[in-house]
Amino acid sequence: MSGLEVEDLVVPRGAFRLGPTRLATAPGTVTALIGPNGAGKTTLLRAIAGFERPTQGTVRLDGKELGPLPPEERGIGWVPAGLGLLAHRRVEENVRYGLDLRGDPAAREKGRAWTERLGLSELARRYPRQLSSGERQRVAIARALAVEPSLLLLDEPTAALDADAREALVRTLRELLAGESVALLLVAHDAPTALALADRVHLLERGASRFDGTLSELLERPPNRFAARFLGFENVLPPEALSAPTAGAIERRLSALAGPGGVAVPARSLRVRAGGDGPEARLRARRGGPRTVLVELAGLSLLGEADPAQPLPSVGGTVHLELEEGEVRAITA
Amino acid sequence: MSTAARARAAAPGALAGVLSASLLGLFLLPVWALLGFATPAGIVHESSDPQFWAALDVTLQASAIAVAASLLLGVPLGYLLARKRFPGKAVIRSVVLLPVMIPHLVAGLALFLWIEPGGTVYRIAHWAGVPLLDSIWAVALVMVYVGASYTVLASEFAFRSVEEDALEAARSLGASRTDAFLDVTLPTAGRGILTGALLTWARGVSEIGAFLILAYAVYPGAGYTGPVTSPVSVYIYNLYGLNLHAAAAAASLLLLLALAAFLAVQLFERWGRLPWRRGEVGA
Repeated sequence: MSGLEVEDLVVPRGAFRLGPTRLATAPGTVTALIGPNGAGKTTLLRAIAGFERPTQGTVRLDGKELGPLPPEERGIGWVPAGLGLLAHRRVEENVRYGLDLRGDPAAREKGRAWTERLGLSELARRYPRQLSSGERQRVAIARALAVEPSLLLLDEPTAALDADAREALVRTLRELLAGESVALLLVAHDAPTALALADRVHLLERGASRFDGTLSELLERPPNRFAARFLGFENVLPPEALSAPTAGAIERRLSALAGPGGVAVPARSLRVRAGGDGPEARLRARRGGPRTVLVELAGLSLLGEADPAQPLPSVGGTVHLELEEGEVRAITA
Repeated sequence: MSTAARARAAAPGALAGVLSASLLGLFLLPVWALLGFATPAGIVHESSDPQFWAALDVTLQASAIAVAASLLLGVPLGYLLARKRFPGKAVIRSVVLLPVMIPHLVAGLALFLWIEPGGTVYRIAHWAGVPLLDSIWAVALVMVYVGASYTVLASEFAFRSVEEDALEAARSLGASRTDAFLDVTLPTAGRGILTGALLTWARGVSEIGAFLILAYAVYPGAGYTGPVTSPVSVYIYNLYGLNLHAAAAAASLLLLLALAAFLAVQLFERWGRLPWRRGEVGA
């Protein structure tokens, strides 16, 4: 089979242990690795790239077992979180570094083409220190892709970027990958990057795989509270928060919808109105967007969305809630 | 902000400025006093003394040998200390610091007892054509002993500054361990290693205590019948006991030569095509 296949991979790192992990990516697809800090995302990428020694399991790329191969013989593009640009070489020299190592007679032309493709032509004579974070990120990606790997690993490519630079990078990656056969496996620390790029999501928590599937599957059945928060559900409630003796109609309804890990409620599912028949709550603050408000309900703080048709009372006043259950999701574990 | 508040805010900076100026004055004023005492005419006169140049020649030859030996032996040790994990690292680092910490007369005496005439080390070295007492090799040995620590420590620091990410990215692009060392580690650590070598050189040139025991009357080696001389520091020390003006002139000449070497290194660095260190982020 072509693409990446990781089977029952176990990587110990001191007291931490990754795996056993199973993961597959097909050519031309994007898989986002997500998970809280310390989940093992970077360890998994490093193990695939050949920088960690697994004690168990296999890594195959395009059907070839990579286990005994050193990093330089794996043919995998690796862009670490720190990028690893060669500070003493210009942008154009960085981009063609891998081609030069291979003795490619067309290294200059190919390097120039990749420099142009990543919008770096005007920066080609600069050194990495003379570039912004986003520009450096593009140099690192151009350098990794220049040697035409069948798999590209990106470790938190958007972590050091502001919102504009992140969007620009995501756009660039989408354009680059369109119609290409390279598989991309990236650690995504933010939902916009994962949502904009990924075909599949692999969730790690404390070294164990918790979910592997499509984004829509993840949105439909968030496997844990981290995933629910990552996906942008404003209210992520554990089961115990819903079973207080003071629980009212809303909490009881949410409790009925909850899974073993609790319930995820988007703010837009909780309508906040000045009047009506719904259960009463106290308006505590106006937050975020113009319609997002924080309400208190028998000791439970929830983010809801104000009904634009009804002006709300001032903070501290009484409001009425209405739950729209369609987008409420049970957390499965 | 009120005048009193402004004065309070400025006080720490002013105090730091006064203290810094005091230290810089301490560095510079004795040099000024030396040059003033030596007088330009005295320096010119000393520069025509062949004994000064013979002594300087011994110092330069021996320091070149010492720097080469320190690089050969010290850079690998610096690399191991920076990049490898092994038991006893703290002990090894303490051993590296030992020559820096002990008085150099003590170092000279220890070296003398280690290579005492008739001893095994002495006989092996003599058999190999490297006489270890009162020879240029003895001068170089002392210089390595008192100065190589700087190469080791500067190399360790320099190798630590090499990003693991850069090494790994290079490996993933097809670089072997050797390629990665040559393409990533050395260019990044090179400047720090060079700084260590310069410190080793400067420490060796300024040494005198251990020379007085191990290499007092230097001749280049067995079979040599020419004039006996000393490293330049010993030469100046000897002059000091005979003629203070001549000693000050010789010391000033050495100082000017060292200054010229320092400026040459600075210029080399400017010309040395290191623009990647001068770049500004986001330029």
